[in-house]
Amino acid sequence: MSAVTELPPATPTAPGGRSGPAAANKARFSTAWLWSTPPILLLAAAFLYPLYLVVKQAIEGSPPDPANPFKVTTSFSDTLKDPGTRTVVKNTIEMAVYSTAGCLVLGFLLALIIAFVPFPGARAVSRFVDVFLSFPSFLITVSIMFLYGRVGMVNHIASSLTGGKHDTPIDFIEYSPWGIWLAELIYFTPFVMRPLLTAFSQLDSGQLEVAASLGARPGRVIRQVILPEALPALFAGGSLVLMLTMNEYGIVSFTGAKYQTLPVLIENFAKEQTNYAGACALAVINVVLSLALFAGYRVLLARMSGGRRAAVHA
Amino acid sequence: MLLYTRRAQRIAWAVFGFFFLLLFVLPFGILVLAAFTRQWNGAFPSSYTFSNITAAFHKDPLDGLETSLITAFVSSVIALAVGTWAALALDAMRNRGGKALIQTVFMLPIAVPSVVVGLALLVAFSQGPVLLNGTSTIVVMAHCILVTAYAFQQLSAAITRLDPAYEQAAASLGARPYYSLLRVKLPLLLPALTGSLALCFALSMGELGATAMVYTSHWTTLPLRIYALDDRGHQFVAAAVTAVMMTITLAVLLAISKIRTRANFR
Amino acid sequence: MTEAEAGRTDRRSASPGGGGIRFEDVTVAYNGTVVLDSFSLEVAPGEVVALLGPSGSGKTTALRAVAGFVRPASGRVYAGGRDVTDLPPYKRGLGMVVQQYALFPHMRVEQNVAFGLKAQKVAKAQIPGRVAEALRMTGMSPFAQRYPRELSGGQQQRVAIARALAIQPSVLLLDEPLSALDAQLRSGMLAELARLHRELPDVSILYVTHDQIEALTLADRIAVMNDARLVEVGTARELYKRPGTEFAAGFVGNSNLLPVTVAECAPHADGSFRAAVRIGTQSQPVAATSAEAVAAGEARTLCLRPHLLELAAAEHHDNAFQARVTEVQWRGSSHRVFAEVHGHEVRLDANELRNPPGIGETVWFHFSAQDAVLIPGSGAALAEGGAR
Repeated sequence: MSAVTELPPATPTAPGGRSGPAAANKARFSTAWLWSTPPILLLAAAFLYPLYLVVKQAIEGSPPDPANPFKVTTSFSDTLKDPGTRTVVKNTIEMAVYSTAGCLVLGFLLALIIAFVPFPGARAVSRFVDVFLSFPSFLITVSIMFLYGRVGMVNHIASSLTGGKHDTPIDFIEYSPWGIWLAELIYFTPFVMRPLLTAFSQLDSGQLEVAASLGARPGRVIRQVILPEALPALFAGGSLVLMLTMNEYGIVSFTGAKYQTLPVLIENFAKEQTNYAGACALAVINVVLSLALFAGYRVLLARMSGGRRAAVHA
Repeated sequence: MLLYTRRAQRIAWAVFGFFFLLLFVLPFGILVLAAFTRQWNGAFPSSYTFSNITAAFHKDPLDGLETSLITAFVSSVIALAVGTWAALALDAMRNRGGKALIQTVFMLPIAVPSVVVGLALLVAFSQGPVLLNGTSTIVVMAHCILVTAYAFQQLSAAITRLDPAYEQAAASLGARPYYSLLRVKLPLLLPALTGSLALCFALSMGELGATAMVYTSHWTTLPLRIYALDDRGHQFVAAAVTAVMMTITLAVLLAISKIRTRANFR
Repeated sequence: MTEAEAGRTDRRSASPGGGGIRFEDVTVAYNGTVVLDSFSLEVAPGEVVALLGPSGSGKTTALRAVAGFVRPASGRVYAGGRDVTDLPPYKRGLGMVVQQYALFPHMRVEQNVAFGLKAQKVAKAQIPGRVAEALRMTGMSPFAQRYPRELSGGQQQRVAIARALAIQPSVLLLDEPLSALDAQLRSGMLAELARLHRELPDVSILYVTHDQIEALTLADRIAVMNDARLVEVGTARELYKRPGTEFAAGFVGNSNLLPVTVAECAPHADGSFRAAVRIGTQSQPVAATSAEAVAAGEARTLCLRPHLLELAAAEHHDNAFQARVTEVQWRGSSHRVFAEVHGHEVRLDANELRNPPGIGETVWFHFSAQDAVLIPGSGAALAEGGAR
């Protein structure tokens, strides 16, 4: 519920009504507001206003145009009621949840090994993880096509092993959501690993050694010492990835699978069917979904960094 | 630190190596392999060629590369300026509501799908007083909006980590706020500034969703060209162009990371 | 007279009152919690005053109120001869050195020291001379071209002081300046600070510390603080020799605090009073010094410094009390004896004893009347902790 209190008031409230030597304070407040105005205005004009227009068009829909009988007419409720939309919304949420779950498990495992079972080159690996974050997502799709695609490397090896009985023993990339899942797992796992590695580096290794000397086996140490410390980072990374996978376009569109998610359908509506009202309606659904996640992410982040800040100032 | 027997360590490393190689290294290797492939009928390419790479530097792909570089450069510089400004304004803001307003507004583009950012620009600037549909401006604008959020996030995190003692020491020595911003705060933030410039550049280079919505035939970025190549069945050229893009992005990132200063050595 | 000195003299004469610090009833609160409670104190020009107290006592808040990083909810702060309460920090012109030094990591030593001069737009021609002077005073001239990270903790400390001195402040604020150094460096730096102050006799210094040795060594006067309040202020000697509160007695130097009942009280030749007091139910009263006349039968706390107690022979116990030994510690060159008297612990510090008492033995603790001070209050609060 604190998500609600985190959201700003609709109109900036004047910082009045403060006690104490208010004159100088007030001057400081007003300069702070003055300094904040230009960037906010800039973003409002370039982004918030257009976003408002999207919501507006989604609600108004597109009325029939007498001059253009071929124009698609859609209203918000049409789009909402469409069973196709429902399937796509379900797909989007499912894919995001499954990908995130995979990323959390894999990311935790890999980060754990990098941080606590150090090996030569562990630093290089964590640098590689950082670099990985700056690559475009579709790159993964392009390359796993060569690996697991219908005519990909793995299929060739597999079919030669089975003696050519099956042409394509593995065909999940093009025809099932598993290809998208795999690509998202690969691409988004580093997003979970990075906050985890930061959290692990702050963990006092003495704690682990004491736990081990007291007779705790690695499993218990992970559960009772490491996991509680890593939980905020896991939550933060997990909700970020949940949001990003829900909004992912590149991976899904490059796969070209029959499996559609909201972002791909929005692009399809707007660019191929020129159904802007429909695209806007889908956009509103997508934004509401990911904003709900974003709010959760912000609250978690604020709680984490807030705690740390308070500790520093104490 | 966690595993004390040699055997357990070896198992952990093997697990790590398996996943790391399979999921992270192999895709890159395959991509590079495909970039040099002429024919691929078996498990491994049957013949190799350089023509995919040379094709990446001709006509369409080259045009796309130029477009992407210009777009990424312009948008990341603008994003850095606006994002830094907003992050500094956030730091100066004492009012809780004001802080929340700035944070929400500037983090919003991360939460909104990139496709929707493109759609919003398309809806807003295809009509009304400002017509930008079909211009390069709208593409740069979309990239700016998306990467500003990341610049803001990185900078405000760096500012939070900055020890207030430096600014207070500057103030006690008689430095006015703008002087201490210029001489103390920004120099100390320089590593974060170059870091987020690099991040913005890389994100912009690889941006696909919003660009797919707002691009025009004369301002088509490299990822869109790769998509078209892939779609038309030129997988090996697509792989080659992707590899070239990756290399150039990495080179730019490396160059930016060389802008290291004394503040790095803290 | 060097140029730097000339500048300083000009500055001094330009500000009427000639510097110093004055707190007038300053109260500071954070989110409703009072962290400094109607604090009043004056630091004369050229005087060194130490704010001494445990952590959370409000001493750093008081210093930061002078520097301008904390706004008082009420009261006025004067520094350098003017009211600075509403001035932003950068207009106050005070030198400040903090615990972690806050040297600018991206600037060389020289640039760090020149920073304040450049920020205040001092004429370019003057800067090198003043930087060199500040570095000379702190002995850091050979390190002018280094970066802070290339210096040891003690050297960084000197640069921080040089940087504060370069702007030629009439007031220097030192916030736990030695607490980041190890014990050996600390005593060296303490001597260094004392020498610096002799070299700059006009500069007022407000020195925040929780270390009584630093305060006693350096300060002309010590202001003892506790729980956001000023407890007691006086010269180091006064506070040590004649503490007026149990808290000051316990915090400035070590002390044994015993509840006593006054038997009789008479004026003494030196202007104070001499009182005969009874410790618990001991039959023999002992003599102690009191700053004021006390009526017979009143309760007081007797403050005895551990190193001024002596073990007395059983047959010769003038002005002594009986106690049962609970612990004896041999500390090389000295002995520390703990004993119990009517439920209160008493500590004695002595040079190495030839025949230390055994545990459980009953001994006589002797002291001279002028070393024993009567303090208002029951003594119950600090009877346990005070001697530690």
